[in-house]
Amino acid sequence: MNAKRIRFLALLAISLVFLLAWAFPVVWSVLNSFKTDRDALAYPPKLFFSPTLDAYRDVLFGSGSILPNLISSMVISVGTTVVTMLMAVPAAYALARLRFRAKKFAGFYVLATQMLPPVGIIIPYFLVLRNIGWIDTYQGIILIYLSFSLPFAIWLLVSYFEDIPFEMEEAAYLDGASRLRTLWRIIIPQVRGGIAVTVVFVFLNAWNEFLFAVVLSGNTVRPVTVAMFNFVSVEQTLWAKLAAVSVLAMLPVVVLGVVAQKHIVKGLTVGAVKGGGRR
Amino acid sequence: MSGRGAVRFQDIVKLHGDFAALKGVNFDIAPGEFFALLGPSGSGKSTTLRILAGLDAPTGGRVFIDGKDVTSVDARDRDIAMVFQSYALYPHMTVGENIAFPLEMSNLPKAKIEPAVREAARKVKIDHLLDRKPGQLSGGQQQRCALARAIVRQARLFLLDEPLSNLDAKLRLETRAELKKLQRSLGITAVYVTHDQEEAMTLADRMAVFMAGEIQQVGTPAEVFALPNSIDIAGFIGNPPMNLVPARYIDGNVVISGHALKTSTQAAGERDVIAGIRPSALRVVPDGLKAKVDLVEDLGDTAVLDLDCEGTLMRVRVNHEDVPREGDMISITARPQDIHLFDPVTRKRL
Repeated sequence: MNAKRIRFLALLAISLVFLLAWAFPVVWSVLNSFKTDRDALAYPPKLFFSPTLDAYRDVLFGSGSILPNLISSMVISVGTTVVTMLMAVPAAYALARLRFRAKKFAGFYVLATQMLPPVGIIIPYFLVLRNIGWIDTYQGIILIYLSFSLPFAIWLLVSYFEDIPFEMEEAAYLDGASRLRTLWRIIIPQVRGGIAVTVVFVFLNAWNEFLFAVVLSGNTVRPVTVAMFNFVSVEQTLWAKLAAVSVLAMLPVVVLGVVAQKHIVKGLTVGAVKGGGRR
Repeated sequence: MSGRGAVRFQDIVKLHGDFAALKGVNFDIAPGEFFALLGPSGSGKSTTLRILAGLDAPTGGRVFIDGKDVTSVDARDRDIAMVFQSYALYPHMTVGENIAFPLEMSNLPKAKIEPAVREAARKVKIDHLLDRKPGQLSGGQQQRCALARAIVRQARLFLLDEPLSNLDAKLRLETRAELKKLQRSLGITAVYVTHDQEEAMTLADRMAVFMAGEIQQVGTPAEVFALPNSIDIAGFIGNPPMNLVPARYIDGNVVISGHALKTSTQAAGERDVIAGIRPSALRVVPDGLKAKVDLVEDLGDTAVLDLDCEGTLMRVRVNHEDVPREGDMISITARPQDIHLFDPVTRKRL
């Protein structure tokens, strides 16, 4: 056995350890979601069992259906993503392009909001929302989600905009395009990849968010991340149903990941390379 | 179509903080003229072009196009087309879409855009590439695409910012010739920025030579070459550059390294001067200014000699058949009308 082969095997072993650590909860959830509650509780755990869709049927169409929660999650995530992008794209363009006095400060502020621990600001958020009667409403949760998704999206998008040469815009002006038309026809098509990446991240962050959701939601608007805990109570944990909900909650994430995979990989490397040399 | 595109720059000043990029620039361009802005990098020629295009605003002074003050008119309302050094092609659009873009922006009906795009592409010989993306084109083809996008709209002014600098030497020569023909056939006013004096000499009807934020001279290439009005221009125009040597002017003669050469000036008096003689104007003669041949650069049909005239470097261009050997002593002279005299202090022509 030569050194190259040993190296390869070592890398393989390390990769396997990481893969196992990553895959275990996913595999566990998927397996348990097809079990009966009795099988799920069996010890030692059963690898071979007769699979059933009972858990899915119960969580989707049973008395405690999580369908409304999935819809809530979807509305919140799509809403957050749309509003974020509508504001982040022009903001990132402005930060990347226009020269204004507060630019440096604004750039720092955008990032600084990312440094606060969420737990520290959750109580004030709760009080503000309660005072304006927005607890347990879509607009309330989306508004709070914007507070972290917007800076994140702007920060991510700025580097993409900065990669577009200035002359491109000047050429468009001389060709007779207004600033808005230049942005729409010339600039945005060139940052499509970056926008796709940002959309995916913003959507996923909103979809996966738990801490704010648990405090600011209620019985009307309750995203699936919070609703999952219906299946955990003091007396018992309904493992099979919990697993089924987990799998259902993971689905959009997986689908989005697969669809946007090409963009994400490309977008991330571009950001990484350019981001390093920026400013 | 001619009669459009007259330009006047009046006392244009551009400050970047404390730095004066342009220190009061004045010139006029006649309609249909091919006008070059020539100068070393940082001399203000590109700034001048950007101010003309409306991409930068001057700190002071006024810009007129066709008699109208456009100083505060927006770039897109000036009816100006420009070819950028980087070409600035829109990478997500095909060649055809790139060329069509300015027409679309002027809200021309679709039925008229198609034939106009085809015609512009045909003029620069890329009509077979209309469906390609810019990334699939060679540098020369990209350059043509940028040209087509600029000529398609028939703007009244055609600006070119070092458009040939990204092409290889052979392509540059070919494109240079075609550019001139294209401009002639379209009859449009062209303003051309370059740091390459040969490009300016061959292309321009007239040129403005920039040095350190000022125009030092405006004239036809022949005028500027024949009568440079300052030491800086004399040293900038011509290849190899003009010999500029400290000398003493005495009653119509100029004394270089102890040898007197007759000048075309008759004025009596005595003073220090800088004498300028083009390498091609110096001739090897039996009796003249003595010099030792330091180096021979053989260029095929001609050769350039580096001469040591008692410590002063002089360069001479000679025909291939009279090339001396390195180390030889020769003597040289120049006709009176070929000797330019400059003031060593003001650096201006005397």
